[in-house]
Amino acid sequence: MNHAGGLDDAGRQASGVRPFLQTPVPAPTPAVPVDDNSAALRPFVITAGRVDGPDSEIQLETQVTIHPGAMPTRLPPEKRAIVSLCVEPLSVAEISARLRMHLGVTRILVGDLRAAGQLEVHVLDSDFPDPETIMRVIRGLRAIS
Amino acid sequence: MDFEQYPDHRIVGTARVPDERPRPSAPPVPVKIIVAGGFGVGKTTTVGAISEISPLTTEAEMTMESVGVDNPGPSSTKTTTTIAMDFGCVTIDRTLKLYLFGTPGQSRFAFMWDDLIRGALGALVVVDTNRIDDCYPAVDYFERAGLPFVVGVNTFNGQLGYHLDEVRWALAVRDDVPVLSFDARFRASVRDALLVVLDQALHKSIKMNSR
Repeated sequence: MNHAGGLDDAGRQASGVRPFLQTPVPAPTPAVPVDDNSAALRPFVITAGRVDGPDSEIQLETQVTIHPGAMPTRLPPEKRAIVSLCVEPLSVAEISARLRMHLGVTRILVGDLRAAGQLEVHVLDSDFPDPETIMRVIRGLRAIS
Repeated sequence: MDFEQYPDHRIVGTARVPDERPRPSAPPVPVKIIVAGGFGVGKTTTVGAISEISPLTTEAEMTMESVGVDNPGPSSTKTTTTIAMDFGCVTIDRTLKLYLFGTPGQSRFAFMWDDLIRGALGALVVVDTNRIDDCYPAVDYFERAGLPFVVGVNTFNGQLGYHLDEVRWALAVRDDVPVLSFDARFRASVRDALLVVLDQALHKSIKMNSR
């Protein structure tokens, strides 16, 4: 038996168990250092350097619409683009993809626009969908052929 | 010169006309399923087979503390990591929309899974039997997070390299975790795999609500 392939391989072959299950304490994932920070940081210039969204409840699938009672106001182009997209309900992920804007940046700007009363962010009450909702998804998917 | 008169007579001075902006329709309730797996196992194909829009890609630029939160000071430098995430959607009806998020299954992307699984119905872990260990981190993570998940072996070209029992043995998943084979290229096959995920989610939801 060749042990040169590393501990992981040998362990897996020996017991057929995921290597993770054999380690009692999971090793923390080391942070991946980014060699060139300049390019990575540039998108955050439009968020004034902020990297943490004020709204942790703004998720990828969270629906965003324009606030019907919003006062017209002068907005920077990125924010204006978001507002003009949200005439129809749109998820944060779709906004990010359509504007080719980094997800983190999109989240922060959506949070800003929500705080400014320009956007309505439709946050769900419950964390996990109820059985009725899941049943509706099941029926909806079954109808797809 | 002939200037056209301002077309809307309602707008006079600074007065704001009500309903100037179109009122958006009520948004649907979003639900999501995660599609996880290593590079090239067919995540995007899976999402694309069922999605009503061609899969969109969003770049996530997320920060992580390279040291513990209790240790501020000079060493608490933040680093950023960029990943691309594919997603698609299926409109169930006007009030309900299913989102599918494809995410890389390697452990170095695990920092964003906490965010991703919040409120998720469950996950489909896509497996290529040639590189089965690519999905270990995702399986480990979903298992510990208590997220309902299903292992879906993507049968490239309709060929299943290993028996499903062998895959289950190699992954060492609990007996109640379904291991199935599907073909990511076909809508009906992806739909059936997702229905198994939803079945798991339904069990969890009923259990939660009966408490």
